[in-house]
Amino acid sequence: MKFLSLIVPLLFVILFCYAIFKKVKLYDSFTEGIKEAIPLLISLFPYLAAILMLSELFEESGISAALIKFVSPAFSKLGIPPEISKLVLLKPFSGSGSTALLSELFQTYGPDSYIARCACVAYGSGETVFYISAVYFAGTKRKGLFKPILISLLANFGAVLLGCLLCRVM
Amino acid sequence: MNAIFAAIFLLSALFFLLYNPDGFLSALLAGGQKAATLSLSLLAVYCVWLGFFKVMEKSGLSEKFSCALYPLSKKLFRSNDREALTYASGNLSANFLGLPGAPTPLGIKAAQRFCAANNKYAADMLFVLNATSLQIIPTTVIALRLSFGSSAAADIFLPTLIATLFSTLFGAFLLFLFRGKAK
Repeated sequence: MKFLSLIVPLLFVILFCYAIFKKVKLYDSFTEGIKEAIPLLISLFPYLAAILMLSELFEESGISAALIKFVSPAFSKLGIPPEISKLVLLKPFSGSGSTALLSELFQTYGPDSYIARCACVAYGSGETVFYISAVYFAGTKRKGLFKPILISLLANFGAVLLGCLLCRVM
Repeated sequence: MNAIFAAIFLLSALFFLLYNPDGFLSALLAGGQKAATLSLSLLAVYCVWLGFFKVMEKSGLSEKFSCALYPLSKKLFRSNDREALTYASGNLSANFLGLPGAPTPLGIKAAQRFCAANNKYAADMLFVLNATSLQIIPTTVIALRLSFGSSAAADIFLPTLIATLFSTLFGAFLLFLFRGKAK
C-alpha cells in the first residue's frame, strides 16, 4: 500500500516541473488559486451548517436509534448484520460520525471480523449523500433534488447488500 | 431539499419535545460547532487544491486533460459546455484517485455551471456519481484497519470495489432510466 502515499507528492512534483517548463509564474498562480478558497467556503457555509445541525438533531433526538431498532430485523433478513445497521443509516448524514462508528466497530469486534469487514464495505461503497447535496448545490437555485438524492440512497443501499453478500463468500 | 429538511427537522424536534426537551438546543449548537470546525479544515483543503488547480490551468495541462476526456464526458453528461466538462472530469478523476478533499471545489464549479445552463441531467449525474462514491482504493478504511492491528487490511479492497462500482453504475442507470421516461 506504500505507493498510495506517493500519489499526492508525485502529482505536485510533476505538475510544478511542467509548469516551470511552460514558464508559468508558479507563486503567482498558486496564490491566485488560493484566493478562491474563502469565497467558496463562505458560499457553502450556510448549507453546511444547516445540514450538520440537522444530522445532529437526527442522531441526538433518538430517531436514529428508534429507526435502527425498527429496521434491524428487516436488514438482517436481507443479510446485513444488525451491528452495522446504525452505520448504514448514519453514513448518508455524517462522514465524521460514521468514521467514529467504524472505529468503534473495529474496537468491539476486531478489524478482521466478518462484521468489521461488512462495515468497511458499507462505509467505503457510499458517500455522505446529504452533505454532498448541500455542498455541491450550494448557491445554485436548483430545485427538485429529491430524485437524485433518492437514487443515490437507493444505489448505496444496494451496494451495502451486495457488499455484505460478498464478504460472506470472499 | 426543503421538504426533506422540514420533515427530518420537525420529526426530530418532536422527539426532543417528548423525551428530552433540554437536549434540543445543545444538539443544534453541537451541529453549529461541527460546521465551524469542519469549515476550517475544508478551508485548508481548498487552499491546497485550488492552488494546485490554478497552476494546472495556467500551465495548459487541464485543457489537455479535458481534451482527452472530452468525448467520454460529453456523452456522460450530455453537455457541450467545455469549461463545465473540464471541471466535471477533474472532479471524477480526483474522486477516482481518492485525493481527499480535491473533488469538492471542482464539483461545485461544475455543478454551478451545469445549473446555470439549466442542464438538470448533467447536474444530477454529477451528484449521483459523487454521492455513490467512485473511489477505487478505500484509503481511509485501510488506514483505519491498519491502526487497529488488522492482519490483512487490504483484503477489503475487492468487495468494496465491486460494491462501489455497483452503486455507481446502478445510480447512473436509474438516473438514465428516469430521464429517458420523462422525455
